[in-house]
Amino acid sequence: MSAAGELVRGSGLTKRYGGIVANDGVDFAVAEGDLIGLIGPNGSGKTTLIHMLTGHLEPDGGEVAVRGRRVTGRAPHIYAAMGVARTFQLTQLFGRMTVLENLLVPGLTRPHSTREEVTRRARGYLAFLNLSHVEHLDAKNLSGGQQKLLELGRCLMLEPAVLFLDEPFAGVHPRLRDELILRIQELHKEGRTFVVVDHDMESILRLSRRLVVMARGAKIADGPPETVRTDQAVLAAYAGL
Amino acid sequence: MSGVRQLPAYILGAAAVLALVFADQLNSYWMHVAIIAMYYGILASSWSLLAGSVGLFSLSHMAFAAIGAYTSALLIKWFGIPIPLGMVAGVVMCCVVGGLIGWVCLRMSGPYLAIFTLGFSEIVRITIATEDDVTAGMAGLHTDPLIAGAATRLPYFYTAFALLALSLLVMGLLVRSRWGLFLRAIREDEQAAAASGVAVARFRILAFAIASGFAGLAGGFYAHYIPIITPSMGDLNEMAKLVVMTVIGGMERLPTAVGGAIVVEFLLEELRDYGQWRLPLFGIILLLTMRFARNGLLTPIWLRFVRLGEAPGGAPPGIGEEKGSEA
Repeated sequence: MSAAGELVRGSGLTKRYGGIVANDGVDFAVAEGDLIGLIGPNGSGKTTLIHMLTGHLEPDGGEVAVRGRRVTGRAPHIYAAMGVARTFQLTQLFGRMTVLENLLVPGLTRPHSTREEVTRRARGYLAFLNLSHVEHLDAKNLSGGQQKLLELGRCLMLEPAVLFLDEPFAGVHPRLRDELILRIQELHKEGRTFVVVDHDMESILRLSRRLVVMARGAKIADGPPETVRTDQAVLAAYAGL
Repeated sequence: MSGVRQLPAYILGAAAVLALVFADQLNSYWMHVAIIAMYYGILASSWSLLAGSVGLFSLSHMAFAAIGAYTSALLIKWFGIPIPLGMVAGVVMCCVVGGLIGWVCLRMSGPYLAIFTLGFSEIVRITIATEDDVTAGMAGLHTDPLIAGAATRLPYFYTAFALLALSLLVMGLLVRSRWGLFLRAIREDEQAAAASGVAVARFRILAFAIASGFAGLAGGFYAHYIPIITPSMGDLNEMAKLVVMTVIGGMERLPTAVGGAIVVEFLLEELRDYGQWRLPLFGIILLLTMRFARNGLLTPIWLRFVRLGEAPGGAPPGIGEEKGSEA
C-alpha cells in the first residue's frame, strides 16, 4: 500500500553491472508536490536509480510502484501513461523532426487526444518555454540550452504527475539555466512534482525543498536542504572531506 | 488535408490519367518493363517505410515477396481458391511472419538486424529451393495467370498500377497519421520515444508486419503475372537491387523510393547492351549517392515539385511531412 499522495516508490532497488553494485537496496519515495534535488558524486548511482524509477532499467532486486500499483519490469511507455515523465542526462530529442513534432509525439500518445487539441497545447508550451520562434526548425538545430527546454516541454506534453530531470543544467549557458530554473519553479507552484538530478549544487539548492544524497550506490541522506548540507556523512562522501 | 498541396496533386493526377490513357501505346516489351517497375515500386516504397521511416534496415524484404508469391501459388494449386483470395492469403501470411520477425528482432538494430534478416532471407530461399516436392525447387513453380485469356499485357499494366496506387495511398496515410509520427520518433531515438509514451515494441512489430504485407502483395501479383516463380525472386541479388533502387531514389519518402525503382528498372533495360557492366555502374551511382546525396538523387527534385505553386518563402511543411534536411 502506498502512503496518501505518494506518486512513485522504489523499495529496495538493486542494480548490478558485472561486479559493480550501482544501486544497493535503495528506498526512494516521491510524494505529490515534492521538489526533490538528487545529488551525489559521479558513479553514485543517481542515473541508474532514475532509470529504474521510470521503467528504462529493470532492477535486479526490489520493486517500483506508481500510485501504489506495482509496475516493476513494465515498459517505459506504461510509466509515461501513468504520469511519470523524464529527461535524459545527454539530451535525447527526435533530431530530424521539427520542434513542434517533438511535442506532438507525447501529446498524441494520450488516449482520446486530437491533433488540433495537441497542437494547440504544444504551441502553448512552446510559448511558455520561449521556443515559439523555432517551432519549424529541426530539433537537432537548436542550441544546447534550447534542447534542454524542448526536452522539458516534451515531458510536459504528457501532463505528468511527476517529472524526473536528469542533469537539466549540464552544459547550459547561465542565462538559459536561470530560465530553466524559473520555469521549473513556476511549474512546481502550479502543482507539478519534480525530481532534479544535477551536479550544479547552487542550482539544486536554489530549487529543491528536499535533498537526497547518494554515494556508492546507497542513499546516505534525505531531508531539508539546510539539514542535509551540513550532514557529516554527506560532506565526507560528496565533498571528499 | 494537411501537407497536401493542390498544384502538385493536380499534376500527379493528370500524369496518372495520361499514363493510363496512353499505356496501350507502349509495345509489349516496354509495357512488361513498366509492369515490373511498378512491382519493384511497391517493394521499394514498403521497404522505405521500414528502413527510411522507422530506421529498421531489414534485408528480408524480397524473401517476403517470395513468401507472398509461393503462399498464393501453392494455395491456389492445392485448394483451387480464387487468385485474388490466394493473393490476400499471401499478404496475411507475410503480415504474420513479418510480425513474428519484428517481435524476434525487437532488441536489434543496425548491423545486427541486417545480419539477422539476411539469415532469415537465406533460410527462406534455401527452403524453397530444397523442398522440390512442394515448391518445385529451382525448376520453378508454374502459376495460374491473374487475368485468364488476356491477349495483351494491358490488363496487367492497369492491375499493377492500381496495386501501386493503393499501396502508396495506404502507406501515405499511415506515414501522415499519428502512427507515422510515432514511427519516425522510434527511428530518431527509441528510448526517448518510449519515454514519450510510444509503445515502441508494438510499433516496431506493426511496421514489420505492414511492410512485409505489402512485399507479399507485390510477390502475389508477380506470381500470377509471370507464369513461373523460382526461389531466386527472394535471393540476395534481388535484395541488393531493391536497396539500390530505394537508396538512389530516396529512402525516406515513398514517392522517391518508387521513382528510384522506376528509373533504375528502365535504365537497367535501356543499358542491356552493356551486359553485366551496367551493374557496376549502378554500384558506382549508389556509392556516389551515399557520399554526396544521402537523401537520394530524386529527393531534391521531389521537394521542388511538392512546393510548386507556393509563394516564395511560403508556409513551412505541414505536420507529419518531413522536411528536406540532410541527415
